[in-house]
Amino acid sequence: MQTTAVAAASKRGKASPLTDEQKILLFRNLMLAMALDRMMMRVIRAGRMVGFYHEGGIALAPGVAAGTFLRKEDILWPHYRAHGLAHMLAKGIDVKLYVAEHMGREAGCCKGRSSFHFSFPQDHVFGLSGNIGANFPMVVGYGFAAKYKKTDQVVMNCSGDGSYGEGRAHEALLISALWKLPVVFWLENNGMAQHSGEQDLFPGKEISVLAAGYGIPAMKVDGQDLFACAETALAAIAHTRSGKGPIFIECRTLRAQEHSVGNLNNEGPVKRDQKLMDEWKATRDPLKIAAARLIEEGLLTETVFTEWQAEADKQADAMDEFSEASPKAMPSVEELYTQVYAGKGN
Amino acid sequence: MTDTRELTLCEAIREAYIDEMRRDERVFMMGVSIQAGSFPHTKDLTPEFGTHRVVDTPLAEPAIAGAAIGAAQEGLRPIVDFMYAGFSYYAGSEVFMQASQYYFLHGSQLPLPLVFVGTCGVGRRVANEHSTLPYGALIHHPGIKVCMPSTPYDAKGLMKAAIRENNPVFFLWHTSMMSFKGHVPTDDYVVPLGKADVKREGTDVTVLTAGMQVHTALKTAEKLKDEISIEVIDARSFEPFDRDALFKSLEKTTRLVIVDEDFERAGFSAEISAQVMEHGYDLLDAPVKRVCHPNFPIPGGYMDVYTMPTVEKVESAIRDVCR
Ligand SMILES: Cc1ncc(C[n+]2csc(CCOP(=O)(O)OP(=O)(O)O)c2C)c(N)n1
Ligand SMILES: [Mg+2]
Repeated sequence: MQTTAVAAASKRGKASPLTDEQKILLFRNLMLAMALDRMMMRVIRAGRMVGFYHEGGIALAPGVAAGTFLRKEDILWPHYRAHGLAHMLAKGIDVKLYVAEHMGREAGCCKGRSSFHFSFPQDHVFGLSGNIGANFPMVVGYGFAAKYKKTDQVVMNCSGDGSYGEGRAHEALLISALWKLPVVFWLENNGMAQHSGEQDLFPGKEISVLAAGYGIPAMKVDGQDLFACAETALAAIAHTRSGKGPIFIECRTLRAQEHSVGNLNNEGPVKRDQKLMDEWKATRDPLKIAAARLIEEGLLTETVFTEWQAEADKQADAMDEFSEASPKAMPSVEELYTQVYAGKGN
Repeated sequence: MTDTRELTLCEAIREAYIDEMRRDERVFMMGVSIQAGSFPHTKDLTPEFGTHRVVDTPLAEPAIAGAAIGAAQEGLRPIVDFMYAGFSYYAGSEVFMQASQYYFLHGSQLPLPLVFVGTCGVGRRVANEHSTLPYGALIHHPGIKVCMPSTPYDAKGLMKAAIRENNPVFFLWHTSMMSFKGHVPTDDYVVPLGKADVKREGTDVTVLTAGMQVHTALKTAEKLKDEISIEVIDARSFEPFDRDALFKSLEKTTRLVIVDEDFERAGFSAEISAQVMEHGYDLLDAPVKRVCHPNFPIPGGYMDVYTMPTVEKVESAIRDVCR
């Protein structure tokens, strides 16, 4: 593997810093994330979802890696692709409540009133915004609060390459560097934003070069390699937790399908190459890559793979069933009027 | 005789773009993924106009809004497509301050011809950012014109007027109306900004509205036609607002209901109610009634369909003013 992260890890000794248990945890998290992604696609295609869904496909390894090693009190802003399900389940959040939110149910994590927004404040995951790039100013606030309260919380700030077009991304890099905030800028770069390719989005292929301008260290990693992403996440979390300030991680990943369900699949005026995307699905699927590694290391067999896969699919289906069983949230206008402002402060 | 055919709302907007870009070299457009066509109104424009006139930009709304101001000051006539109007809020300073107030504050010397475009509208279960209608906030800031069509005909005509206008214009279109069909002439025509349109004549009650809610009002008028004769006025443009057309209608009906998909508080309907109170009090036989979005953020889930104006709510307001 040719990533800086792995190079860094191997400097500390030949072996991966990941324990067998961690590898299996990561693997099963990815399996579940991909099963959830498939379930969400079935639900939206069946017309049972309210709002949007943006398929994760073979791009979920970075999210799983970003979430798996976070503590409960660490702050996570998940990348919106696959609606952050991979990141959040890896952090140990009960994501069935977010599945129910997508289906407009009373059991939803935002009482069924948000379509695709989420909020798990007790888990230090505060929300999602329909406006891409809304994460950046807020992560400055999370980092500021951690320093102010003298905690060792880490802020895992995940977003796509498209979000780095926004000025607020650059403002957040500036302030995080200036104030040495504990923010991981975790970029999941698939070389695309909506129907535009990277040539129309950024001058150059690597966005992590931005970090150097602010004196922020940066690492690049193959986003299809779950364990490489995880090693990088561990290193990034250790860096920020030890008070060294922000760090920038660029995971290179792939979008092997359209931007969102039922949408075009173009780069500018040109249709994308279906053959290439099919080839990616066959050869660059992070679950297949990770499985091959585990089998090689004697940690997994084909039979166990099939068993775990079935379990993951069952778990995903159970979240769908849980959501379906909850009533559609349809409070009255009068009731909603009581929900606009919080009660008395102190 | 003019040639007309059925076009969708988005096709009508697209036709206005094509006409105006052919007519005037200075017209160009910028936005996120407009070349592929995030929405059909910008689809397949590059073969004729090239990627230098139909420009895909990074996600950088403040930069492209500000770039439009700069390009306009240097003699171009930019169109900036924000995709969802809610995304334009990132460019609040450029829209509300720089574009709107530039001309007046700098001695009324240099016109600022540019068009901001954004889609909006409640009822698609996608919550605030992808629904919010900014016209109330926009008209609060003098210096920018604001319009929203309710038919493909008006869409083409208003867009042409907006592109030819010498002031910033925010052109809004309702996402749910993307595929609404209607007749559109092939001829060159404009729908002037500041001209309302009577979409249905009536004698008992005037319903003033715009955009998608014109259709809610028309449905209500049809439902009540044997009982109450309802005149439906489509404002088409919020600023300038055609107060003469409204007052002419009120002279006849003496009753007014305003249907406004935007928030009730301090928005278009509040503004018009105040204007009627100040300048048309004697025309009224009943207090003005409003049907608006309630004063809470636009929810998603299964809620927005009934939190927004509905035929039932409009009917009830009409019955109230007739009592
Ligand atoms: C402020 C804003 N501008 C534009 C959009 C429309 N939009 C939604 S997702 C998206 C692409 C984001 O690309 P990226 O951050 O790279 O994530 P990816 O979809 O590639 O995973 C765009 C342009 C938006 N939601 N918000
Ligand atoms: Mg991307």
